[in-house]
Amino acid sequence: MTTSPTEAPPTAATYVYGVVAADAIPAIERPGVADAAVHALDHNGVAALVSSLPPGERRIRRRDLMSHLRVLEDAFAETTVLPCAFGLVLSSEEAVRREFLEPRRDALLDLLGRLEGHEQLNVRIAYQEDVVLREIVAADPAIAQLRERTRGLAEDAGYSLRMQLGELVAAALGSARERDGRAILERLAAKAADVVVENAGEDVLKASFLVAPKQAEAFDRELERVAEEQAPRLRIDVVGPLPPSAFATLERGAWDS
Amino acid sequence: MAVATRGTANDYLQRAPSPSGLADVLNVILDKGIVIDAFVRISVIGIELITIDARIVIASVDTYLHFAEAVNRLDLAETGGVGIEDLQKDGSKRKTQGALEGAKEKLTPGDNKDKDKAKESEKSK
Repeated sequence: MTTSPTEAPPTAATYVYGVVAADAIPAIERPGVADAAVHALDHNGVAALVSSLPPGERRIRRRDLMSHLRVLEDAFAETTVLPCAFGLVLSSEEAVRREFLEPRRDALLDLLGRLEGHEQLNVRIAYQEDVVLREIVAADPAIAQLRERTRGLAEDAGYSLRMQLGELVAAALGSARERDGRAILERLAAKAADVVVENAGEDVLKASFLVAPKQAEAFDRELERVAEEQAPRLRIDVVGPLPPSAFATLERGAWDS
Repeated sequence: MAVATRGTANDYLQRAPSPSGLADVLNVILDKGIVIDAFVRISVIGIELITIDARIVIASVDTYLHFAEAVNRLDLAETGGVGIEDLQKDGSKRKTQGALEGAKEKLTPGDNKDKDKAKESEKSK
């Protein structure tokens, strides 16, 4: 470990949670990763929320993941925070200033300005399967017919027909998901400042929305409208307001000092 | 935990202030947020993380059979009203969750079949 010339004792590996403006440092009471106390390191207008990490390899427990999240949530409750991804560790507090805050100061300040007051809402939308399957059977005569033919058959006798049926249904479900997902995404994105869409997998839509303070109410209303209109075929789960981790990204160019 | 809902959409719009399941927590903190090129990522080990994979294990053959069975089970004579609501409340949700939990169990640490299951799901991709 290198000894910093400006700090008397060599400091331990330093875990970084996120970045705030130096004039808005939140008080974090709860312990962080590895149960260490969280404090702020300020540098020229920006401040990193950090804690020290004991030396040696560390096995991460669920508790550590939660601590990272809770520290960010506490900070977010008080001020604008740029969350770091879990697991950001530098060799010392000095390294946090020298290698992280100093070279990226302008980009961090810019991002803090852009995300000020904004919150992230994670939206996941899934079908109520039976309701949508009914729609699919009703809409496609081929599916309805195969369904009739396989209903009475024994498991062995109907295997290939059943596979055929299942394949058709899965395909119909896939295009329904895509269609519904796209339409709802458009509606919600119109009420948000930004959106990050994820692979929805078996769901209809999975996305993080960045919502500005003045948009919060309209976004919320749109969610309720979609839920009402689409009941009972859809179920919407909303998590948040969260610190805007999906939108706290630095351009690659900003990394090179 | 989901909190009480606002508005009239009730059952169909659930809100929670913070992610509760491990997969949701990871989704928020693991690959999102600021990263820097020089950083040391502390090793995120721990068998628990394997459960994330449960989200992607349903093989296509199983999926087809599941859907065939699901549409066969629909009672189309019940149209509209109470029947549909009962079905979607008790049927779909539970079945889907059951399938996912089943998948999760297969990946639980200490299960010797983990490797075989992983191979199976790889093959079916």
